[in-house]
Amino acid sequence: MLRYRFLFEQMVRRELRQKYKGSALGVLWYLVNPLVLMGAYALVFSVLWRVVDIPDYPLFLIVGLIVWVFFAQAMLAAAPSLVLNAPLVRKVRFPREAIPASVAAVQLITFLVMLVLVIPVALAVRGTLDPALMLVPLIVALLFCLVLGFSMVASVLHAHYRDVEPVLAAALLPWFFITPIFFRVEDLPGVSDHRWAGDLLEWANPLAPFVRGLRDVIYSGQAPSTGTLLYMLGAGLIALAIGVVVFRRMERDLAVVL
Amino acid sequence: MSLRPGEIVLDNATRSFALRHERSRTLKELFVRRGNEAGASRIDALREVCLHVEPGEAVGMVGRNGAGKTSTLRCLAGIVPLDSGRAECGGRTVSLLELGAGFGEDFTGRENILLNGALHGFERGEIEARVDEIVAFSELGDFIDVPVKAYSAGMYLRLGFSIVAHLDAHVLLIDEILAVGDESFQRKCLKRISEQMAAGATLVLVSHDPTAIERVCQRVVVLDGGRVAFDGDTADALLFYHRLLGAEAPREKLRASRGELEVTGLELRDSGGAARHMFRSGESMTVALKLHARTPADRAVVAIEVRDSRGETAFRTDTTAGEIREGAEIEFEVPRLAMLGGDYDLAVGAYDQDAPQVLDRIARFSIAQTSDGEGLVDLRGTWTVGGRSSPEEALRS
Repeated sequence: MLRYRFLFEQMVRRELRQKYKGSALGVLWYLVNPLVLMGAYALVFSVLWRVVDIPDYPLFLIVGLIVWVFFAQAMLAAAPSLVLNAPLVRKVRFPREAIPASVAAVQLITFLVMLVLVIPVALAVRGTLDPALMLVPLIVALLFCLVLGFSMVASVLHAHYRDVEPVLAAALLPWFFITPIFFRVEDLPGVSDHRWAGDLLEWANPLAPFVRGLRDVIYSGQAPSTGTLLYMLGAGLIALAIGVVVFRRMERDLAVVL
Repeated sequence: MSLRPGEIVLDNATRSFALRHERSRTLKELFVRRGNEAGASRIDALREVCLHVEPGEAVGMVGRNGAGKTSTLRCLAGIVPLDSGRAECGGRTVSLLELGAGFGEDFTGRENILLNGALHGFERGEIEARVDEIVAFSELGDFIDVPVKAYSAGMYLRLGFSIVAHLDAHVLLIDEILAVGDESFQRKCLKRISEQMAAGATLVLVSHDPTAIERVCQRVVVLDGGRVAFDGDTADALLFYHRLLGAEAPREKLRASRGELEVTGLELRDSGGAARHMFRSGESMTVALKLHARTPADRAVVAIEVRDSRGETAFRTDTTAGEIREGAEIEFEVPRLAMLGGDYDLAVGAYDQDAPQVLDRIARFSIAQTSDGEGLVDLRGTWTVGGRSSPEEALRS
């Protein structure tokens, strides 16, 4: 992997250039998306509908939203990435993993910029500096592993079966609503009667622990539970391992199917 | 067994492609028509291709469209896996299979040099050390800092080739791209390739341009239908390839020409009567023909055509040979070959006046350039500057 650091860096630069060509605000546009979502959900749920009673609700929202936007945008960009780079894959021999990896890395950059903006705001709002913040790099690294694994699978599957992208796009919307981004699982009225439903929402969705973990650290200023930390570690590494294995298996004939 | 740097081995390399399936399948199809796979028709791109290239060799590859040239290169480059057999290159392999394949459209020429180096597995330091040399070779000047989407095909070639030619590869795989460049850049590319050969690099060059192949390759492989049809000395291989192309001509025409009259012998001779294929510009040449008539022909016509390396007619003439009973010997004398250096095909044919004109015997010859000038013909002009002709020119005429 180290051998290809230079290639990876070049591919990320190429991806960035292609994304932001001709837009004066460049990377800023990608920050607008979660901010607009944050504004809309805060307005609906906390001001108009008043179903949530969570202090500093916009801050609560934005932490979950940036995790989601990172994941969803990376998936949507990774799925067609091999197909879009077909001329490269068909005519040059290089490690093809670099393509979905560079797409995921570009989304990581946006995510990091968002974090850099959100963390000082959270500190100011809470007024305390907590040692739990030291966990942010670890959580980010594990989340990137998860996103990378999913991106690799999405890209190589889409190269072989061209309806993967639309299926994915359709799946992401309900996925968003069952991920505890604008609510807390324990606040849901039905969960106190059906404990299993709460557990399902908390643990069956690989993204939920990351939302919860990052929110614990940034929004609440406390370390996530050991269970959550272990889950993130497992989910990140397993997703990456599956991604690598699936990609290796299916990349063999890439130059032919594209 | 691992290969030496620059060594190339193809051992029973076989690869076929499905015609309809595989390309852009959908999940729906996967579930709906599972049992249908076997019915897909396949094309054999490579059939048990065997080839061994020693380090430092320059091998040309020719063949009709679909003969498997590009597939062979893609298998050698490791882009497409084989169904069975072995295809390997020893050492560092660099390929240039398509213009601008590895370019970022929005990157400048300079940035693309880094990207291409990275794609070919080079480290930052290795490629940065070569940037200036590459920029100079490409002659792109200020355009090197302009995004390549503004480039013409010729400029793409200049950049693409300059990069590949400076990566110090052990094996260079180049596919039919030099044709895009202008004449002088093409010559420069071929010179650069020759230099790399001299330094021990191995080259596989696919081209439709026999001149390019003759200039750098000592050995040529003719592919036909995914198999090696001929493998040997460049001149012999190109002759074989020309015959292969000739055999492709429409059947009726061939039958018509074969029916009555046939050219059975064709020889190019110098002034002393010796057979030759290499002439100097300005020498004399005699084309000696032997005709055979299967049935007596009353109105036989013999035609001679000289074609340049691109297949364009440079000269054509014919004569009425009149009555030919069985056989005849005919000569055509060129007192002075007024041509500049290059490779030419001389095609001859004998046919009945009313039959289709088919020139189906071909001899190749080369002219070695002895005077100044560029182009096809040697006009033998004299310069006069200030009332005195230059002594050098005066001497020659």
